[in-house]
Amino acid sequence: MKTFLIDLKKCVGCYACQIGCKDEHCGNCWKPYAEEQPETGQFWMKVNEYERGHRPHVKVAYIPTPCQHCAEAPCMDAAKDGAVYRRADGLVIIDPAKAKGQKAIVNACPYGVVYWNDVLDIPQKCTGCAHLIDEGDTITVPRCFDNCVHGAITWGDEEELDLEGAERLCPEYGTAPRVWYKNLPKKFIAGRVHDPVAKEVVIGATVTATGEAGTFTATTNWIGDFWLRNLPDADWTVTIEKDGKKVAIETSTKIEDKGLGEIALA
Amino acid sequence: MGIKVDKSVVRPIACGGTGGDPVVVDSAEGKLVRIRPLRWDMNYTQEELAGTLWEFESRGKTLKCPVKAMPPYYAFAYKKKTYSKDRVKYPLKRVDWEPGGDPAKINAHNRGKSGYKRISWDEAIDILESEIRRCLEAYGPAGLLGIGYDGHKESKGIHYGSGAQDQIMRLIAGSYVREVRTPDSVEGFYWGGKHVWGTGAWDGLGMPENYANTMKDVSDHTEFLVLQAGDLETTQNYSSQFQSYMMKFWLDLGIDMVTIDPFGSYTCMIHDEISWVPIIPNTDAAFDFALIYVWLTEDLYDKEYVDTHTIHFDKMVDYVMGKTDGIPKTPEWAAEITGVPEWTIKAVARKWGTSRTSMGHFCGAHIRGPYSHEPGRTEYYKLAMQGIGKPGVHMIHLFSWTVAEPIVPSLGGFLSFMFMGHADSNDGPGPMSIPRTAIHHAIMDGEYEWWGSPSIINSKPEDQFVKRTYPNENSGGNEFHFIWSEKASNQASWNGGFYLQEAYRNPKVECFVSNHQWMQCDTIFADLILPITTCLEEQDCYGCSQGGSLHMYGIQDKACDVVGESKSDYEVAAELAKRFGKYEEYTKGLTVEQEIESSYLSSLIQNMISFEDLKEKQYFPTPFNPDWQNIPPAMAEFARDPEKNPLQTPSGKIQFWSPELAEHFPDDKEREPMAKWNIGGSKEDGYTHDESLWGEKAKTYPLVLNTSPGRWRVHVQNDDICWLREIPTCKTIIDGYAYEPVWICPEEAAKRGIADGDLVKVFNNEGVVLGAARVSERVLPNSVKMDKGAHPDPIGPRIDRGGCTNLISPPDPIAKHCEGFVVTGYLVEVAKVTEAEWEQWKKDYPEHFERTEKYDVASGSSIDGWVEGGLE
Repeated sequence: MKTFLIDLKKCVGCYACQIGCKDEHCGNCWKPYAEEQPETGQFWMKVNEYERGHRPHVKVAYIPTPCQHCAEAPCMDAAKDGAVYRRADGLVIIDPAKAKGQKAIVNACPYGVVYWNDVLDIPQKCTGCAHLIDEGDTITVPRCFDNCVHGAITWGDEEELDLEGAERLCPEYGTAPRVWYKNLPKKFIAGRVHDPVAKEVVIGATVTATGEAGTFTATTNWIGDFWLRNLPDADWTVTIEKDGKKVAIETSTKIEDKGLGEIALA
Repeated sequence: MGIKVDKSVVRPIACGGTGGDPVVVDSAEGKLVRIRPLRWDMNYTQEELAGTLWEFESRGKTLKCPVKAMPPYYAFAYKKKTYSKDRVKYPLKRVDWEPGGDPAKINAHNRGKSGYKRISWDEAIDILESEIRRCLEAYGPAGLLGIGYDGHKESKGIHYGSGAQDQIMRLIAGSYVREVRTPDSVEGFYWGGKHVWGTGAWDGLGMPENYANTMKDVSDHTEFLVLQAGDLETTQNYSSQFQSYMMKFWLDLGIDMVTIDPFGSYTCMIHDEISWVPIIPNTDAAFDFALIYVWLTEDLYDKEYVDTHTIHFDKMVDYVMGKTDGIPKTPEWAAEITGVPEWTIKAVARKWGTSRTSMGHFCGAHIRGPYSHEPGRTEYYKLAMQGIGKPGVHMIHLFSWTVAEPIVPSLGGFLSFMFMGHADSNDGPGPMSIPRTAIHHAIMDGEYEWWGSPSIINSKPEDQFVKRTYPNENSGGNEFHFIWSEKASNQASWNGGFYLQEAYRNPKVECFVSNHQWMQCDTIFADLILPITTCLEEQDCYGCSQGGSLHMYGIQDKACDVVGESKSDYEVAAELAKRFGKYEEYTKGLTVEQEIESSYLSSLIQNMISFEDLKEKQYFPTPFNPDWQNIPPAMAEFARDPEKNPLQTPSGKIQFWSPELAEHFPDDKEREPMAKWNIGGSKEDGYTHDESLWGEKAKTYPLVLNTSPGRWRVHVQNDDICWLREIPTCKTIIDGYAYEPVWICPEEAAKRGIADGDLVKVFNNEGVVLGAARVSERVLPNSVKMDKGAHPDPIGPRIDRGGCTNLISPPDPIAKHCEGFVVTGYLVEVAKVTEAEWEQWKKDYPEHFERTEKYDVASGSSIDGWVEGGLE
């Protein structure tokens, strides 16, 4: 089964996958696999970007999100007349001729990766570049994969990919996607610790986050920074200790990552 | 399927003009289908590439040259650029302009406002010829200004615009006024750094003279990498994405990194391992002096190196310790200025002073602001104190990033330029050259004076001691009245853009001709617009040499049919040559194909691959020197023996204090012989700038504007590619218009009642540019961030909707004796645009709103808004 593996640790947020998808499908009609993608507004490969944390502990997450080519695809259930079908290689395809007028296909997708084309009156989405895989005359792999020069997107037969430790996006949807991710962002709490009397950063302080979700620890580095990573969404008490000095901060990662900024350890 | 690819052309598409990692352009029946990364093994076997695809080991890990090239991402979107909605397809003439120089028929004041109508090529060349003849007769060669150098910033050889224009102008007029590119990427180094360590790279840039093997040496030895000067994820894209690859390797090796930057840079934001130190824009010199203070007081610098490799260190020590002005430059002192807590400054100083440290340099904002010669110098002071050239201690610059030195000699990275055939660029100062930064002053004041060669390269420090004037002594006192530009970006890429717009509207400018592919920037101020082919529509020879994984020579067929009636700059010049009886001389009697062969025959690869093979394979990646790993890295030879390997300073050593500056400019309080913390002051007190938070101007305009090249553009190129404009950090759509983001921190936004997504104006005495507020933690208080290079879209005089920051940048140079641009680190205020204000603009400037009604929101400016009746 053809499978995507997207390692976010290797992604630099260059959007070349999103652009490559448009270059392949905008202005090029690959029927019977797909009609043209409209010039703008649809993202068969969409990079979802969001800012995390607070100054100076800020990071940006980029999550390339194509159709998840689910093994249990709700869009197939919602389609009439076999307008959405799964190929032998696992790719889920919307037949542009049969799908005309079927808006339910858009609404069925929990990942929001099916788009409605008002002009053609059809739902559209990633085809896995099936036209290239089957009949490509210069490349025979999906464009987003070919365009990713950083190796963040890999693609191939499931058994050929290193899926150890990989996760699915929103597994709670229960649709068994064939797109896997590594290093999906988990919440962090970070801070920069200093001694307000000595006016020095505090290196080597022990930082502990405790809460109902468990206990996590980190140590402050050369600039006084600590990063508690891969935290569950929960409420926390963060304590920072060194040489008998201690400070405790109540915080939460239920909604967002937390950059606690400058912290005085007095 | 309906589309069958029938041609695949290999070529670089780099909007830096210097090649770049190549792509394959697939087309069918003359129409572009797709643009994808080249695999170096496409037309070569692995065996053939064995001596080309380098690899090396460092700290037990191996780095291999990627087999897939790493083109900049906008190259993948160049189909949309080629078929852009603002593409100029036919010659155009401004509707209310007539040739002949009659002031009543020029309507100069309507430039940037009035529309165009389509004309024939015959009529267009008639006008070009007759206006050149008329101005030559009336004003002599000094009446003609040629604006060029950049070839539309596309990577071209035979069809390189500037070379074509320069050659035909010389053939026609003998001489003319040549606008010359200033050291825009490296201002602070050029005007400051060169006086510390000499001429520098490429005979003039002021960066390290030698840079071979820097990446290997950093991999082997560097423990700490400081990114104080720009954002590699943004800047590298003028040619390649290769540096991301290198950066990942260094992170894998465990090299610690810090970003010291007013903006949470894209590089810092994607790597968990990089710490961020936010700093108020253009305060880097103060930060640096505080680092030096810590090193001096805690013995954290290389004393022996300083003793043997530098002169006048004691003068800097006296300044830093407060002996000369009573102010010790302590971390506490710098904290007040920079907004960086003193404990953080101490931590950075100690980490740096106890680790083998390199600086990653990417032409950052800190050397492009007012008085950029100061941080340009303090950067070198720091490197000198830590023993630059010793293992792991380097300034790593964009241009230095060749991993394995190729066997074909590289001349300052300009390998591919040697293969340019017809187009030589006359960027050296000619008898009547004028710096690009002075065009507005020359037109508006009729005279101008400056110090120094205007040239970005081939310029020695002592050139800066020469005073020059406009009009030049060779001009017979005449000013220029005819402008022919093949480079449309002056108002958006250089400083004082609104003032330049005013200059273009001056009736002194009787004729303004623009060769360009797209209806943007200066082109919308021209009287005659000549449609030019993109690099994809030309048969050419070009390579790549800078910033990528490999060097390459190439020969390219046309990748697609010519769009509309476009001609290349080479062809335009050839048409003009016919009118002046210079055709044979101009073409050297060669066809384009013959010229390509002739270029090959004069190249350094003629013994390495046959012309036929090169044509068939399309590209030739140059093999590496088998001995490359033994070439001394970067400044190592100077570090090893400064007496035998002197720098190009008069002393041969690093000069903390410059005897030459002291001799030539004894009374200069803006650029003294040694860098100082300098905030400028009022014009009355003799200062060029008052752009700091501590002067009078800050009382009215309290935010420092931090600009840098946008991530989704290369300077002003590609701001019209709709696929890029959909990226959230590229544009924000408000009421059917896509605005440039104005990054503002939550604290400053709250003070002004600004919410994310609000329409705001960024303004100062120069004028107003509009944008969409992007409230973000990536910006700090007292500052605001807006990328430069958005396409201007004038609402009215000094009001711009496109969000082009350089329109409100200071028209004056870096300092009195430093003729460079200031495009960041200057003062502005930000406010919400009120309804009353908006309605007033609609009433005062209806033509703007009528024009933008016809725009395509996704792409921005379109030809439909500018051409009467459209084009078709």
